[in-house]
Amino acid sequence: MTQQHSSRSKPLQTLVGLGLVALSLLLAWGASSVSSEAGYGGVGPNFFPWVVSVAVLVCGVLCVVQALTGGFRDLEEGSGDPRAHWKGFVWVSAGLLLNAALITTLGFILSCTLCFVLAVRGFRSSEGELDLRLQAWIKDTAIGIALSAPVFWMFTKMLAINLPGLTNTGWL
Amino acid sequence: METLNLLMQGFATAATPINLMWAFVGCMIGTAVGVLPGIGPAVAVAMLLPITVKVEATASMIFFAGIYYGAMYGGSTTSILLNTPGEAGSMVTAMEGNKMAKSGRAGAALATAAIGSFVAGTIATVLVTFFAPLVAEYAVRLGPPEYFLLMVLAFTTVSAVLGKSTLRGMVALFVGLAMGLIGIDQITGQARYTGGVPELMDGIEVVLIAVGLFAVGEALYNVMYEGRVDETQNRLTSTHMTKEEWKRSWPAWIRATFIGFPFGTVPAGGSEIPTFLSYAAEKKLSKNPEEFGTTGAIEGVAGPEAANNAAITATLIPLLTLGIPTSNTTAILLGAFQNYGINPGPQLFDTNGALVWALIASMYIGNVMLLILNLPLVGLWVKLLNIPKSYLYAGILVFSTLGVYGMRQSAFDLVLLYAIGLLGVVMRRFDFPSAPVVVGMILGPLAEAQMRNAVSIGEGKWTIFLERPGSITLLVIILAVLILPRVLRRWAARKLALAQA
Repeated sequence: MTQQHSSRSKPLQTLVGLGLVALSLLLAWGASSVSSEAGYGGVGPNFFPWVVSVAVLVCGVLCVVQALTGGFRDLEEGSGDPRAHWKGFVWVSAGLLLNAALITTLGFILSCTLCFVLAVRGFRSSEGELDLRLQAWIKDTAIGIALSAPVFWMFTKMLAINLPGLTNTGWL
Repeated sequence: METLNLLMQGFATAATPINLMWAFVGCMIGTAVGVLPGIGPAVAVAMLLPITVKVEATASMIFFAGIYYGAMYGGSTTSILLNTPGEAGSMVTAMEGNKMAKSGRAGAALATAAIGSFVAGTIATVLVTFFAPLVAEYAVRLGPPEYFLLMVLAFTTVSAVLGKSTLRGMVALFVGLAMGLIGIDQITGQARYTGGVPELMDGIEVVLIAVGLFAVGEALYNVMYEGRVDETQNRLTSTHMTKEEWKRSWPAWIRATFIGFPFGTVPAGGSEIPTFLSYAAEKKLSKNPEEFGTTGAIEGVAGPEAANNAAITATLIPLLTLGIPTSNTTAILLGAFQNYGINPGPQLFDTNGALVWALIASMYIGNVMLLILNLPLVGLWVKLLNIPKSYLYAGILVFSTLGVYGMRQSAFDLVLLYAIGLLGVVMRRFDFPSAPVVVGMILGPLAEAQMRNAVSIGEGKWTIFLERPGSITLLVIILAVLILPRVLRRWAARKLALAQA
C-alpha cells in the first residue's frame, strides 16, 4: 500500500472545510446577539460580524467542495513526513499545558523548566532518540533552569515586568 | 533642507548611549533569530512586546526595528549554509547561495549577501528619509473612505495575490478578521464575541496570535512531521571577495535596490516578488548565465538579497505614513505603537516627529552595526546552527511563554496559545498562508472603524465610495489587482499551450 501524504487526504481536507463552516455558524450566532443600533451612520456594530460570518461560510463551503472534487487546488504538500508522529506531539503538548496549569503555583522558572524538559523529550522521540535515563532528565533540567532563570531575572529585575515566582523573593 | 535638519536631530537622539545600546541589542537579536531556523523577526518582536510596558517608546521602536531588519541579514547566512530559507524572501538566496556554497564559495556568497544588504538597506533608508514625509503630507488629505479602501487593498494583496490559492488566502484573512472582532467595539463600546469570558473583553493580544501561529505552531509542526528531516551544513570559507566578484556584485545590488524598494512601499506586501524579479533580471543580464543553477552565480545572491532588504526597509513607509502594515512584522510593530497609544498615520510626523526621525536615523546606524556583526563575526553566528533541534525548539517554547504571559499575566492566555498553535499546525499542513491572519487581525478593527466613519460621512449612503476621486481610483486599483494576475496567468497558459501544440 502506498502511503498517501496526509495533506492530500480527502477526509482531512473535508474536515478542515467543515471546521470553517462550523466556525461561520458560531460567528453568525455571535453576530445575531450584537445590537444593530446604527445611530447616525447607518452601519451598526453587527454589520461587520455578519460580513465576516458570511464570508467564512462561503470559504468553508468552497473548501468542502474542493476537497470532495479532487482536493484543494494548487496545494503544496506540507513539508516533512507524510504521517504525523503523535508520541512526540503528546510530550510537547503535555509540556505546554502543564506549564499553563502550573505557572502560577510553581512560578515561572520551575514551570518553564518542566515545559522545556518535556518538550525536549518530545523532539528526541520524534527524532527516534528518546532517552528516558535519569542522567538525561537531570542534564535537561539543568539546561532548562539555566535558560529560564536568567530570563526571569532580566524581566523581573531589569524591566520590572511581573512574572510569577514560587517564593516572593523575586529570585525563584 | 528641513528634512536634513530633522534627520540630524534624529541622529542626536539615536546616538545617545542608551539608544545605541537598544539598537545594538536589537541588531544582535535580529541576526540571531535570522540565523536560527524556526523563529523569525515577527515572533521575536511579538515575544518582546511586553517590554513596551516599561521601556520608553523611542528606545523600544529602535530596538524592534533593529530586530526587523537585522533578521534579514542573519537569514541569508542560514539560507546559504543550510539551504533552508528562513522566510519567503530568502528563498531565491537559498537556491543560488547554496549552489555557490556547494562549489566551495560559501564565504563569497555570505559576503555579497551582507554587503548587498548593507548597500540596499542604506539606500532604501535614504529613500525613506526623503519620501516618507512627502507621502505623509499627501496622506493627510485622505478621508475615511480612502483609508478604508487602502486597507481593503492591503487585504486583497496579502490574501489573494500572494500565495498560490486565492481561496485559502481568503480563509486566512477572514479567520484573522474574526479574531480581530473579539472584544469591545471601538465605536459603540459594545462587547462582541466575548461569550462572557472576562479575559476576552480586551480582545486577543496580537502577541498571542503571532507567537501561537509562528512559534508554538512551528514547534508542534516540527515535532509531528519533521523529526527525521536531516540537514547537512555547508562548510564556511573565507568571506573574501575577489575583484571580479566585486565587479559582478555591485551593479546587481544597485539594480535590486530599485526593484525591491517600490514593492515595499505599496500596500502589496511581501518580498518574494521583488526577489524573484531581481533574480530573473540578473540571470538575463549576466555574462555568465551558465553559472545560474549549476555552480552558483554571485549575481543571483547579490541581487535578491539586496532586493529583499530594500523591500523590507520600504515597508516602513506605509506603516509610518498610513498606519497600514503589509507584512507580519510590520503588523506587530503597529501593535507596539498602539501599546504606547501612538497611532501611525500621516499625523505621526507632526505628533511624534522626534520618535520617527530617531527611528529613521537609527536605521543608518543599525545597518553599519549589522555589516560589522555579519561579516567579520559570521563564524560566531554559524555556531548557533550547532544547537540541537530539541533544545532550540524547547527554548523557543520557554520564550513563547515569557512573551505571552508577560503581556497580561494570565494563565488562560497560555491555554489559548496552545490552541492557536494547533491552528498553526493545521494551516501549515494544508498550505494556508499565515500573514493574512495577522494582518487581518490587526488591521480589521481599524478598517471597520474607517468603513463605519465613511458611511456616516455619506449620511448612510454607500455611494460615498464612488463619489470621491481618490476612492474611485483605489477601487479601480483593487479591481485591477484582483483581475490582472488571473488574466495574465490565463494568457501565459494559453501561450504555453500554443507553443506546445
